[in-house]
Formats: sequence, structure tokens, C-alpha cells
Amino acid sequence: MEEKEAKLVLDSFSGYYKSAEITVPSIEQREFGVGGFRKKIEGRHMGFGTNGMLHNYLVQDTPLYISHSIAYYKFPEATPMENKEWMGGDLVFDLDVHAGMFLSEAEIEGVKNDAVSLLEDFLIEDFGVEKKDTLLVFSGGRGFHIHIKSPQFRDLGGDERRELADYVGGVGLNYEKFFEAPDENKRVWGPRKTDWGYRGRFCRFLEKVLDDDPSSIHRGLKKPQEKAKLHSCMEDGNWSKTPIKDIIPRLRAVAERMKIGTINVDSGVTIDTKRLIRVPGTLHGSTGLIAKKLDKIEGFHPYHDAIAFGSEPLKIRVLENIGEQEFCNSTMGKMEKGEEKEVPMSYGIYLLLKGAATLS
Amino acid sequence: MELDFACRYPFTEEGKQAIIENNIQVNDEIAERAVQRVLNAMNWRDKEGRGIYDPTYAHLSDKLTEIGSYGAARMMLSHLRNRYLTNSFAVGEAKRAYAFLKGLEEGHPDIKRLQEEFGVVPEKREGKDTLPLATYVKFAPRSVDYRLVNRNVKGGRVEIRKKGAGVSKREDLRLLQEAIKIRVGHLGTIKNAPEIIRKHSERLMKSMPKVAPSKMSFEKGDNPPCIEKLLEAARLHQNLGHQGRWSLAVYLINKGVPYEKILGIFSNFPDYDERIASYQIKHAINRNYTMPACSMMLSYGLCVANCKVKSPLGWDEWKKRKRS
Ligand code: SF4
Repeated sequence: MEEKEAKLVLDSFSGYYKSAEITVPSIEQREFGVGGFRKKIEGRHMGFGTNGMLHNYLVQDTPLYISHSIAYYKFPEATPMENKEWMGGDLVFDLDVHAGMFLSEAEIEGVKNDAVSLLEDFLIEDFGVEKKDTLLVFSGGRGFHIHIKSPQFRDLGGDERRELADYVGGVGLNYEKFFEAPDENKRVWGPRKTDWGYRGRFCRFLEKVLDDDPSSIHRGLKKPQEKAKLHSCMEDGNWSKTPIKDIIPRLRAVAERMKIGTINVDSGVTIDTKRLIRVPGTLHGSTGLIAKKLDKIEGFHPYHDAIAFGSEPLKIRVLENIGEQEFCNSTMGKMEKGEEKEVPMSYGIYLLLKGAATLS
Repeated sequence: MELDFACRYPFTEEGKQAIIENNIQVNDEIAERAVQRVLNAMNWRDKEGRGIYDPTYAHLSDKLTEIGSYGAARMMLSHLRNRYLTNSFAVGEAKRAYAFLKGLEEGHPDIKRLQEEFGVVPEKREGKDTLPLATYVKFAPRSVDYRLVNRNVKGGRVEIRKKGAGVSKREDLRLLQEAIKIRVGHLGTIKNAPEIIRKHSERLMKSMPKVAPSKMSFEKGDNPPCIEKLLEAARLHQNLGHQGRWSLAVYLINKGVPYEKILGIFSNFPDYDERIASYQIKHAINRNYTMPACSMMLSYGLCVANCKVKSPLGWDEWKKRKRS
């Protein structure tokens, strides 16, 4: 990016920070990292004693990117890492869409649905996280971050966090493990309807298949009495009651369906106990959008609701063809490569940062 | 009675108290027993519970020596700061405790006391015995049987199964064992160890079994991430579950690593038993087992990356292609 564009971007960022209220809880225990036009993280091991100091920094030394550690440290600025003295960290999940220049409406809906399911079905329902301990943040880029501050997860190490990430992603999900080896009476014990988590979900899927398309599992299941036997297996967990000997391998297709309900999180983020993550409320240096804290996700649209700058016009020249795009609560018209045009500031900065335009 | 408890489970608060209340000081006898204790831990055989010291009929002074030897052993290990020894000791002590516990009937007060102290008391939820999620992931053995994804999980609780209904293990005790291992393995530092500790530590080092931990010559980045992680575990003397060891052995065999070298790598594991390891490795060599596919590794919880291959054995080729 040329100097004049870079200056405009950073001046606008600084302007935004002047009136932005950014509070990082336990700020004195966090490590910070900042990035610029070359790299998302150019410097780390920084610390701010107070939110006021952070505010001054953002206004005066405005970085393009700023992130803080999910970890709490005794000495956040110390190096090397061991000297920081790790005191635990938030549990963080990262949901991302790999998109082109803009997220499509379908991608936005998809990742929003995933975020809701992650929050409600997995974190609250299965992991027992309290809503008040969660923080849902639009990443400012292509997805969402969920920060969990519940004390019980704070001191978990990387391997333990991986178990949680894998659970959410259904990684290593093996329905055959729901069944025990035959006991001394040759009985096979397996999942029940009243089971929790994936085991219960598995039974619920199976019930549905038994209603809709029983013969996809076994022809015999068209007979009501055979079907009833399988239902009964799921009642008490004794799977020896069905005469279908190879019932377990026959359930593979049901298990495959269950996988659809899992969430594709970036487990690399969750397991890294020293990870730096975008500071909520700050701007994303690849988009100029706010990494916005959200009370609820319904109705949120990143290109309308995470806008940082006003609608004053910015004159740009586009470097590639750009289609029609929803932005700043209206529809931005098509632009041809080389075209010069006045666009709302937020949209202009977005295109500059994407390398799709220059100032004209 | 209390002293018996401290004897069996010297890593508890009770154990600490017994040392203070009885003013147990390290002497040669205690230090000698401590050396033996560490060596025993390294050679621990769970099979018949051989070598377990049962304090029930022991003389008082003997009990005190036994309790003191645990403390002395820890002092030696803090002084030596040898990861191999420390991890072996932790694994051995935890297995030793488990050997006592598994003989007790359910609900025995000793079990309750330990579960309370280690924060692993199962609680009933909807008729199931459960532990808090965070506790579970902290203390569940790293084995496919305990993977969270295949468990009953709800409202922040994970079901723990006890014997019965097709479950052959006392999972509650197995988690307790893991918690004990972690506690025993956490050592403080001592700057100036007393002379008696230094003297016996030296002796301990000398009496270590001759199968010394081998130096591994595999360069970082030369093996798939899952295998690197397993090798790293060996290097750091961490314990590995059955599937982990098995996959590592099969991988090394397939890569043409000779038997002795594999045994050398396996000797790094804290509960290494030459007889068992050599049997397993030979068995794997003779049977010509195939490497578990990545999907299998995934379900074992051993896959740590998303390489675009089907089997860890295909990784080499893929990496080469990617580089070129
Ligand atoms: S994808 Fe395969 S080779 Fe790569 S880490 Fe996973 S198991 Fe290993």
C-alpha cells in the first residue's frame, strides 16, 4: 500500500479509537501484539497497565491490528515466554469462513448458524457454560470468536483444550465406541435414548431413520415388531434384543448423518494456551471493520453493523472488477477495473485494505 | 489406622501430616528405602500386586520409615531434576496406589477420602455418575476409550462408568490414578539439598537400570506431526496410552527402524518394562501389522494436523511433493 493510502487508513483508525470505548478485562495480565501493513503480528510481548493506557496507545500509535493473549500472565511483557508465568487463560473458539473478497450472504448465514449452535448446543447445553461467562465477537474478518471466561476452564492445558475442540468438531467421533464388548452373558450394551451428547443424538437420529426409512438399515425393520425391538434396545441400552446380528456396522450411515451436526472450529486457536486474539472493539486491519461484541447474533450483518467510519465520500480508483455489494446499509453499485468513484468511507477503506483500490 | 492410610497413600495431606506430627527426619534407613522406592516405581509390575508394601501388620517404626521414604524420594528427585526418573516415579506411585484401591469395595472410605482430596468425587446427575467436564479432561487417560467425543456429556458433566453393564474397568479409580500421577510428578525445587539427600541421590543415579534412555536421531520435521508428537512424548518421558505406543511401534517398524532402536525409544516411557515392550515389538514385527490410517489415528485422538494424506506412512511422499 502506498504512503497516502496507509496514512488515510491509520488516521481513520485513530479517529475511530478517539471515541471508541475499549475495555479489556484483567488488562494488566494480558500480553498484547500489534501488526501493520506487512504482518498481522509484528511485535508482541507488550503490556498495558490500564485501559486508559491502551486507549492512548490506540489513538497515538495506532496499529493496524491489535490482539491480546487469551492467557493471564504474572509478567505479560517478560521474555522469553516462560518468564511471563502463565496463570491460566480463557477458552476460545474460532469460527472462520474461507472466503473471497466478500463473504456471500450464504456464508454469513452459515457461519452465524454455526456460532449459534456452538454456543447453545455445545457450550451451554453440553459443556454447561453459563451465558454470562461467554463473549461472542465478530472477528472483524471472516467469522466469529467465542471467549469463555468460566474459571473452571482457565487452567486447562493444550491437550485438554483439544479434547473440547474435538468434541465440538466431532473429531474422532466413532459410534462403534458407544457399544461395549459383549459382557459375560454375551449381551452388548450400547447407547440409550436418555444418553447425553453424541450418544443421545445418535439415538435420536436412529429413531428418525426408523420412522422415515427403516429398510435403509435392514429390510426386516419394516416389520413393526422388529422396529419395536430396536426401539427397546435404545430404552435400556441392551442391544442384544434385536435379532439383526450385524446391527452395529449397519448403523454406519446413521452415524454419518450425526456428523453433519458438528461444528468446524479452528482447533489450532482453541488448543493454543498462549494465543493472541483480536481485541474486541478494535479494528481489523484487513477490512477496517469493528471486531464487534455481540449480545445476540440474530439480525447482525457484518457489512452493516460492524462499520467503523462515517458515510462521508472517499474517492477511489478500483484495481479490479467489483460486483454489486451490500455495505453500509445500502447497495454499492458494480465497478469496472480502472473506474474512479466516490464511495462511503467504510467501503472505500475496506477496498483499500483488500488491495482492490487506491486513492484517486 | 491413620498411619496406615498415610503409608498406603503418602502423597496425601494425611501423609504430609504424618511426617510433621511424627517429626520424621531423613536418616540413612529412610533414604535407603527411598532409593528402593524409586527403583521399584521404575520396575513397577501391577500384575499380581507384587512388591506392594502392606502396612497393616507392620511395626510403628517401619510405618514411619515407609512414609518418610516417600518424602525423601521426592527430595532426591527435586534435587536430581531428571525428568525420566520423576515421571517413572509418578507413574509407579500412582499404579501402586491403584493396586490398593482396586481391591476395595465400592464406597470404601479410603476411596472416598482420596476422591475428595483430589477433587474427583463422582456425583449423580439424572441417575448417572458424573464428574465436572474440566476435571474429566484433566484426568482422563489419553486413550481412545476415554475420548470426550464418545462420552455422555451434558451440562458440564461427563459420565463415569463403574463396573457393570458391559464396563470392565473402574473408571472412577482410573481417573483418580491419573490425578495422583500428576500430583506426584509435580516437584518443587530445592536449592541446597541436605548432604544425606545428595549422597543417596548419587547412589540412585548409579543404580539406574542400564537400558539408558536412548538418544533419538530423528530430525524435527522429518516425520508426520502425529508421529513427532509420539516421539516427543518418549523424549519427555511422558506416559503414552496403548494405541499411541502401538502406532509408534508400527510406524517405526514400517520405516525399517531396527528392533533394538525401537526398544531404545520405548525405554523412555516411564513405565517401561523391557519384557513387555520387547514382546510387543517382536509381535508387531512378526505379524507385519499395517499402519493405522489417518482416520484411525484421528479416532484414537493421535492425529494432530490435517495433512492431505491417508496414512502417516504416506506423509513423506506428500511432503516432498509439496516442497517441490
Ligand atoms: S493427518 Fe495423518 S499423518 Fe497427519 S497428523 Fe494426522 S494422522 Fe498424522
